[in-house]
Amino acid sequence: MLEQKLRQTCRELLANGTVKVIIGYGAAPAGQATRAVFITTPEGVEQLVWNDRCEANLVAYLKRPEVRALGKPAIVVKACDERALVVLQQEAQLERANVFVIGMACDGIGAPREAKCRSCEDQVPRFCDVVLGEVTKPADAASARWDELAEFMKKSPEERMAYWQQELARCVKCYACRQVCPLCYCQRCIVDKNRPTVISTSPSLKGNFAWHVTRAFHLAARCAGCDACTRACPVGINLRLLNQSMAKATEENFQCRPGTDPQAQPLIGNYATGDKEEFIR
Amino acid sequence: MSQTISLAGIRQLIGQWLGQGKRVAGPIRVNADTILYQNLTSAEALLLDGCVHPGNSIKEFVMPPHEKLYEYVVKGRDVELRNQEAFPPERLILGGRPCDAAALPILDHIFNWDFVDAAYNQRRQALTIVSLACTRQDDACFCTSVGLAPDAVQGSDALLVPLGNDEYEVRCQTPKGEALFAGKCTPSDRQGSVPAGPAKQFDAKQVEALITSQFEAPVWREQALACLGCGACAYGCPTCHCFDIVDEGHAGGGIRARNWDACQFPLFTLHASGHNPRQGQASRQRQRVYHKFHIYPEKFKEYLCTGCGNCVRRCPAGLGLLSVLTAIQQAGAAAPAAKGEEAKQP
Ligand code: SF4
Ligand code: SF4
Ligand code: SF4
Ligand code: SF4
Repeated sequence: MLEQKLRQTCRELLANGTVKVIIGYGAAPAGQATRAVFITTPEGVEQLVWNDRCEANLVAYLKRPEVRALGKPAIVVKACDERALVVLQQEAQLERANVFVIGMACDGIGAPREAKCRSCEDQVPRFCDVVLGEVTKPADAASARWDELAEFMKKSPEERMAYWQQELARCVKCYACRQVCPLCYCQRCIVDKNRPTVISTSPSLKGNFAWHVTRAFHLAARCAGCDACTRACPVGINLRLLNQSMAKATEENFQCRPGTDPQAQPLIGNYATGDKEEFIR
Repeated sequence: MSQTISLAGIRQLIGQWLGQGKRVAGPIRVNADTILYQNLTSAEALLLDGCVHPGNSIKEFVMPPHEKLYEYVVKGRDVELRNQEAFPPERLILGGRPCDAAALPILDHIFNWDFVDAAYNQRRQALTIVSLACTRQDDACFCTSVGLAPDAVQGSDALLVPLGNDEYEVRCQTPKGEALFAGKCTPSDRQGSVPAGPAKQFDAKQVEALITSQFEAPVWREQALACLGCGACAYGCPTCHCFDIVDEGHAGGGIRARNWDACQFPLFTLHASGHNPRQGQASRQRQRVYHKFHIYPEKFKEYLCTGCGNCVRRCPAGLGLLSVLTAIQQAGAAAPAAKGEEAKQP
């Protein structure tokens, strides 16, 4: 069984001193999905679980100082989570050799499977130190990746604006979407800058638009599409739509699919003479 | 003898209030997965029992996430202040959960014990709250562990107790509640009753004793490792009430606003000097638990938690007070070492 294999792998990694801590999924209290566990002893690996409720993108924990203090980690990732890890690597946020990456071949999470999983193009992580298991339930149709966005884009600009006004009005700026995001790693987020204030901190419609537009743009060509933000939002705002519109734009215009090539330059920091915009050449 | 009302009667009541230009709020479905307390635009939108607990709390109606306190205009060397809407419209909340309503008397204490907060009190006085006794619960609910129950009446002007078939027994608690339902109910001999609620999950007294003696216990660090430091728990909590005051505008004027804030953000305690007395998520988690089960109770003789479980339901990291308190109790049972000294300095 895959869970046993995972535990065995982790037991060995801790026992032979390859890593100091395993960042994996553990059983959560009743009623919750799973939660991150931080295992430091070979005996502790019995806490690890692997199932379709392993929703979180654990890569977000690599930015936490408390977790870094535990020493070299091994981290359990799905294919979408791994894309975030690769982006971190591209952006020089982590020394790949200092993390042991355990990839899980993934049948998708959630029951029914989440939207991202129904159209997942990956399922099997590619750049891991070890990949466990194999895919038994292929995604429905990877080509359906933009369907939800395409449906939304059929609306008129006015309708779309009305939609976002209605949705973003609910945002209370709890920043759960930011905190769960592995790629929101700024030491001080622009919304937290108050000398002077750059983006109004108020959860008013104006402040919320400023926050969400900024967030979407800061994640353009970086977002791994793990949907952790959308899952985290307590007021049910479909942030996935914003992320996807950025992803589609960068993919179509710059052939950039974030986190699929550790050697590639980050799109934002890359100067290309072939750019189709005149002003940049 | 009891008083009853039908769901149709309740909707009629809502219609009347809306018709008079007053506001009515209650649980509504905002999308396939989310039910929130929001202002109703129609009586039909009210969803009394669509979920165990809506994703937010009714504190939003007395302490909005963003509240303009006043406008200011800079005129030469003077500043002119312009007050915001002085009297908020009357508002009825229908279908609040008893654990949400029970938070209102708590907030009343907070907003009146030293500074009498006019903005809060005006909203509060304009509010009539009709709660709905809970007939079901989920794994996050723990009202019974903090001395409440699915039919608790604290903070409610009236309590609706389901009788089945869209009929409710109306238990008025205050003159406001009586005025609201006067002439709207049918006398009956049916008495509503609800199940006893969730089993007790922890002993609040014991937790209180433990956290004061276990200030430096490793359990805080262990529990907080998974915490990502967002505001989802505090912002969904009916009793969390911290806020930030900000000025927003330009050189010529702007607004002074009160926005929600939460102790789980590093910025919450960051000093202008750059020093942060609460380093690390463990001390921030500990603060939240301390405030609820020690600091606040010490002063007000009640817990700053109604067991609504929203912090559990909303936590993106699978934490929440229930599991943290249970872990503290377990750790305390295993190692009851006293560390009284530091306990005075949360
Ligand atoms: S998007 Fe793909 S890799 Fe990610 S959870 Fe879904 S199926 Fe697994
Ligand atoms: S998680 Fe939702 S409510 Fe919180 S800041 Fe993000 S969008 Fe706003
Ligand atoms: S601490 Fe948690 S359970 Fe207690 S009142 Fe707040 S949200 Fe509800
Ligand atoms: S306990 Fe959960 S909801 Fe609260 S700050 Fe931590 S991650 Fe956010």
